Amino acid sequence: MNYLLKNIENPNSFDVREYEKAGGYRSLKKAVEMEPAAIIAEVKKSGLRGRGGAGFPTGMKWTFANADPKFPKYLICNADEGEPGTFKDRPILEKNPHLLIEGMVISGHALRAEYGYIYLRGEYPDARDILNRAIKQAYEKGYLGDNVMGKGLKFHLTVHLGAGAYICGEETALIESLEGKRGQPRIKPPFPVNVGAFSMPTIVNNVETFSNIPCIMEIGPEAYSKIGSPDCPGPKLYCISGHVEKPGVYELPMGTTLREIIYTHCGGIKGGKSLKAVIPGGISTPVLPPSNIDCPMDFVSMPKHGSMLGSGAVMVFDETVCLVKVCLRALKFFEHESCGKCTPCREGTGWLRSILSRIEDGKGEKEDIDTLLDVSGNIVGKTFCPLGDGAGSVVINFIKHFRPEFEEHIEKKGCKYKK
Amino acid sequence: MITITINNKEIRLERPVTVLEAAKANGIKIPHFCHHGILEQWGGCRMCLVEVEKMPRLQTACTLFVTDGMVVMTESETISNARRSVLEFILINHPLDCPVCDKAGECKLQDYVMQYGPTAGRFKEPKIRHPEGLNDPLIVRNQERCIMCTRCVRMCSGIQGASAIAVTNRGNHSSMEPFSGERFDCEYCGNCLTVCPVGAIMSRLHRYSYRSWQVTDEIQTVCPFCGVGCTMIAQVRDNALMRVVPKLGLGSNKGLLCNRGRFGYEYVGSGERLKNPLIKKNGKLQPASWEEALDTVASRLKDIKNSSGGNAIAGIAGARCTNEDNYAFQKLIRGLGSNNIDSIARMGFAGGQRIFEGMLGPGVTSTPLSGIADSDAVLVVGGDPSEVNPVLGVHIRMAFKKGAKVITIGHAPGLGRHRTAGLLPHPQADGVVMGGLISAILKDKKSLPGGNRPLEEKITVMHLPSADDAAAACKLSAEDIGRLAKQLAGASSVSIVVGREAGGNKDTAMLVSVLSYILNARIYLMSERPNEQGLVDMGCLPDMLPGGRPLAEEGLRKKCGASWGIDIPADEGLTLMEMIQAASSGGIKAMYVMGENPAFNLPDTKNTEEALRRLDFLVVQDIFMTETARMADVVLPALSWIEKDGTYTNAERKIQRLKKAISITGMEDWKIVAEVGKRIGLKMPYGKAADIMKEIARVSPLHAGLTYADIEGGDNLWPYKGEPHKNWFSFPELSADAFTSPAEEGLCLMLEKPLFHSGTLSRKSPALNSISPEAVLRLSPATASGLNLKDGDFAKVSTEKGSLSLKVKIDRGIDGPAAFVSNNFEGRGLFSLTGYRLDPVTKSPLTEGRQISIEKE
Repeated sequence: MNYLLKNIENPNSFDVREYEKAGGYRSLKKAVEMEPAAIIAEVKKSGLRGRGGAGFPTGMKWTFANADPKFPKYLICNADEGEPGTFKDRPILEKNPHLLIEGMVISGHALRAEYGYIYLRGEYPDARDILNRAIKQAYEKGYLGDNVMGKGLKFHLTVHLGAGAYICGEETALIESLEGKRGQPRIKPPFPVNVGAFSMPTIVNNVETFSNIPCIMEIGPEAYSKIGSPDCPGPKLYCISGHVEKPGVYELPMGTTLREIIYTHCGGIKGGKSLKAVIPGGISTPVLPPSNIDCPMDFVSMPKHGSMLGSGAVMVFDETVCLVKVCLRALKFFEHESCGKCTPCREGTGWLRSILSRIEDGKGEKEDIDTLLDVSGNIVGKTFCPLGDGAGSVVINFIKHFRPEFEEHIEKKGCKYKK
Repeated sequence: MITITINNKEIRLERPVTVLEAAKANGIKIPHFCHHGILEQWGGCRMCLVEVEKMPRLQTACTLFVTDGMVVMTESETISNARRSVLEFILINHPLDCPVCDKAGECKLQDYVMQYGPTAGRFKEPKIRHPEGLNDPLIVRNQERCIMCTRCVRMCSGIQGASAIAVTNRGNHSSMEPFSGERFDCEYCGNCLTVCPVGAIMSRLHRYSYRSWQVTDEIQTVCPFCGVGCTMIAQVRDNALMRVVPKLGLGSNKGLLCNRGRFGYEYVGSGERLKNPLIKKNGKLQPASWEEALDTVASRLKDIKNSSGGNAIAGIAGARCTNEDNYAFQKLIRGLGSNNIDSIARMGFAGGQRIFEGMLGPGVTSTPLSGIADSDAVLVVGGDPSEVNPVLGVHIRMAFKKGAKVITIGHAPGLGRHRTAGLLPHPQADGVVMGGLISAILKDKKSLPGGNRPLEEKITVMHLPSADDAAAACKLSAEDIGRLAKQLAGASSVSIVVGREAGGNKDTAMLVSVLSYILNARIYLMSERPNEQGLVDMGCLPDMLPGGRPLAEEGLRKKCGASWGIDIPADEGLTLMEMIQAASSGGIKAMYVMGENPAFNLPDTKNTEEALRRLDFLVVQDIFMTETARMADVVLPALSWIEKDGTYTNAERKIQRLKKAISITGMEDWKIVAEVGKRIGLKMPYGKAADIMKEIARVSPLHAGLTYADIEGGDNLWPYKGEPHKNWFSFPELSADAFTSPAEEGLCLMLEKPLFHSGTLSRKSPALNSISPEAVLRLSPATASGLNLKDGDFAKVSTEKGSLSLKVKIDRGIDGPAAFVSNNFEGRGLFSLTGYRLDPVTKSPLTEGRQISIEKE
C-alpha cells in the first residue's frame, strides 16, 4: 500500500482534481475541525521522525515551536534536495505536489503558522513550475489563503528557489538564504523552533516529513505507528541509484533491509556482477561493504551497522568501480560545497581532495593514507555543522573498509580500474 | 548565581555569559580568532575549542553559554591537538611571509603557532592563490593571509553600519571584498583594520615602514579632528608618529575611529609645517627670531591699545587648541582691555547651547554618548552626524539596529539606510516642521509635563502651527508629521541630535528645547571641532568668563580680574562676525588669531578677507600657512596636538587629556600667548600646561580644584568637581517668521560637510587627500540629468556673491533640488558663494543667498 507515491502512475497526478479524486485533501478537512494541540498530539503519537536525514522526532520539534509564545511563526519545507544520490523528494514535488501542500496546511494549522515557504533546490526548475501551479490551484480551491476551507484559518505558501548551494539544505543556512543572506549555518542554540526565519519561531521539515502528515491524519496515529520499524515507523522513500537492475524511488516500510531493497525490489546487481560497496543514505553516510547489507534501513538500526539512514539514498557500486575514485568524487563535492565558515571544513576538504586525487593519479605516497586519516580525524567533530563531519567520515570509512585498494593505488602508482 | 568550574577552579557568575568571557574574566586565556568582544558571535575559527563534561564533542568557548554546574577544561592533550590542527589547516594556504608582513609581531596567528608549536609540514599540495588588492590608496588587502574569521565584515555591517564589504565566493576560495571591487568605496573608517587578527587587511600608511615591536612608546590621547573626542593610542618611534590606533572599549568611542582620526594624522609630519616666526617686511613675510616676533606682537598690540583703546583689539580663539591654550588666550585679550574674544564655536555650537541651557537648565547638553545607542527614538536635526561626528553617527546607527526610531529633519545621507523616516523641508524651514511636530505631540500627550513653569508659559503662547498647517507650509505630508509625532511621543527614551545649522538659529534651537522638554529627551550637540565646548567653558566668549560666569555680574568679574591682576572691562565684546564687520568699518584695528582660519572658514569669504586686510595689525598663530596667515603681519608657528600636553572638552562636555607624544622645537600655543602676555605686563608664569590647569582650577568655579590626576582618574564629567552657574534662565522670543517656509523655489545651495575632511588639518593629510582630492559639486541623479550633467563634467556654479568652477559628482544619497559644495579646499569653498545674516540672539551667521545657477562648462 502506497501513501506517499499513491496515484503516482496517473500522468496527471499533479493536478488538484486528480489528487482530490484519489482522496486528497480529506485529511485537511479532518484537520481543520481539530484543535491545533490535538494534531500535534497525534503526530507525536504516530512516532514520525524527520525524513531529512537526522531523524529527529517531528512531534517533539513541533512541541518546542508550539511552546514558544512569539508570533508569527513560520513553516518552512526543506526541498533543497542536494545530497548526491538523493532524489526521493522529487517524485513528490513533481508528481504529488498537493500531498506536500496538504501536509503543510495541516502543519500550519497545528502550529498556528500563517506563512509557509518551500525552499526548493535551484536545480529543480520543473518542480518549481509544478509547485507554483499546484499552489495556484490550492488557492483557487480554498486550501490556501486567508480563509482555508471556509474555516477562517489563514495559510499562505510561497516557493523560494535556492541558488545551488548544498549547505542551504542545513536548516539554519537555509533560513539565512531565505532571508536573503549568504547561506551559512547559524550558531545553535537558539534553535529555529525559537529563533528561526526573521527571528521568529520556525519549523523546518523535509518534503517527505510534511507528506507523511496527511497519512497520519488519514489512518490515525496507531495504524501509522504499526508501519515498519517500531522505533521509527511509517512509510519511507528509498531512492536507489548505481549498479542495480531497476534503480528508482521505492516506497517501502521503514526498516526494510538493504539486502531486500537491492535484491528484491531493485532486481539485484546489474548484469549479474557482484556487489562491491553500498552507500546507504546519501554521500555523507559511511560506506558499507557487502557483508553489512542485512541491516534494517531505519534511523535506529543503521548506526549499529556502522552507517546511517541519512536520506535513504542508496548508491550501489559493483566490482568494476574504483572506490578511491568514488571517495575522490565525494571529496570534490564536499570541497566545492564547503561554505567556508569554519576552518577545518574549509581547509580540510580541499586538502583531502588533493591527496586523493594524487593517489588516484598514481602519485600517492606511502604516508598519504595516514595523513588522510589524521586530517579527517581533525575535521570530524570539530566543524561548525555536519557538512565537515560528513566529509571526514567518508574518507575514514572508505579507508576502513577498503584500505587495500588505496594501498594498491599507491604501490602500483595508478588505478587499475581506469579504462 | 551560576557556579561553574573551569580548569578545576570554581567560578561564580551573576549572569550567563559565554565560557570564553567567563574564563577571560577569571584570567584564563582561551585562544581565538573570530571572536571579538564588540562583534556578533561567529564560532567559525574553531580555535577556542574546549572540553565540557557530559558533552561528547569539543565545544567552542565563544558560543557556549555557561549553565550552572558546567565543568570546563580549557587545556588538555585533546584540546591542544585540536587547536594545533586548526593552526595547521590555516597555515596550509597561508603564505609564510612573516618577514615582509606588517602584522608580524602583533599577529594572533603568529602568536598561537608559537604557543602550540609548529606542525609537521606534511602539506604537499599547491597553495590556493588570491590576488593582492593593491588598488586602494589606504587599505591593502592580502587575501592569502586572510583566515576568514569575518571580523572585518561583521564590524562593517554590524557596528559601523556601512556594509561595504562581504565575503565572496565559497569554501576555500572565499575572500573578503568590497562591493565596489578592488578599490573601496566606503566611509574608510578603517575599523575593519582594527579587528583583523592577521595581516589580511592593513593600512597603507605605515606599510613596510617599521615593525610593531620597534614602537618605542604608546601614548593614550584624544583625536584632534572633531568634538566626539575619540580616545586613541599614538604609537611613536624615534620621536616620530608611526600611526594612531584605537583600543577596544576605551573612551566614548569604545575602540571605534573614523577615517579622519585613523588616517588623518600625517599632517603632523608635513613638510609644510611652519617652523619659524615670520614678520611682514616690505609686504612680504620673512623669517624672524622668536624674540623679534614676540616683541613686535607685544609692542604693536600695546601701541594700538594706547592709541585706540582695548576695544580696538580682538582675538579669535582656536577650536583645535587646548583648554589651556584658550584660557591663556582669553586672559591675554582681556588683559589688553578687550572683551572682543570669540571663536568658530559661534557658528552654531555656542549659541545653541546657550539657548538650550537658558530654557532647560545648565549642563543640558552634557550627556554621555552611550545614551544614544540605548534610546528608542533619535531625532536628528540640522546636520548629518555620520559626517560631522562620524562615531556619534555610528551610535545612532546602532540605536536603529536595536529597533529605535531614527528620524532626520534635513539632509543626512549618512543615515540614509539607518532611519525610519527623513523629512526634507527647505533648509530654512526646519522651524515649521518642528512646530508641527510639537503641536502633534502635544495633541497626543494631551498635557504638558509640568515642572518648568516659565517654559510651559512660553509654549502656550508660541502659536505653534498645527501639523496640517506645517505640512502645507513646507510641502510635506501631514500624515508623515503625525506618524513621526506618534513615534516620538510613544518613545520612552529619546535623544535629539542637533547640528550647527539648527543650533545657530535661535528659533530652531528654542523649538529643540521645547521638544526636548515635552519628550524628556537628551540633547546632543554636534561639534565640528575638538574643543568647541572648551572654548565656551574657558571663557572665549565676549560675554562670559571662564567656568561659564557672566561678564555682566560685577562681583564675578571683579573677582576674576583680581586674580589675574587686571581690570576686566565691563562691556560685552563683539561676537565673531561682528568683529569682522568692525574690522571692515575700522572699529577693530588689531586682531590676534590663534589656531583658526577666518579668511576661509567664515561665510562671505570675500568680504571677510577684505575686512582682515583693513586691519592695522594681524597676528596669526598656527601650524600651517593658512589663507589668514598669508595676510598676517606676524605669523607665529605653534605645535600640533600630538606635540603638546593639555586638555580638550568634547561634545559630551567631558574633559580629556591630550598627551605629548613627540617633541619638536617650538612653542605650544599657550606658551607663545604667555610670552606675549609677559611682554605686555600680564602675570602668566606658566612652565607647563599643568600650571595653567592649576590656575583654571582656581579661577573657574566650574573647574574648581580640578587636576590632571582627577581628569585621568575619571572626574572628567561635567560639572567635574565644581559648581555650574545656576541662575541664568532666559527665554528669547520666537521670530515672527519662525513658522514660515521661504517661498523660493529651485536649486538650493547646501554646505557639504565631507566625511573625509574637516578643514585646515585634513587638507594637509596625504591619506585623506588621496581618497578625496578635490572640491566637487554634488548633485542628485535627477538634478544632474535635468542640467544635462554627467559625473566628471565641469560646471560653473554662480550665486549673487560669485562663481566657482567645480567637477560634478552625482550622489545617490542626495534627495531633492539641492546642490552640495564643501568648504574645505583652497579657493573652492562654498563660503565664497554665500552671504549671511546674523541671528539676533545667537549671533551665529545664518547662510543666505542659497539660490544658484549651474551651467555646464
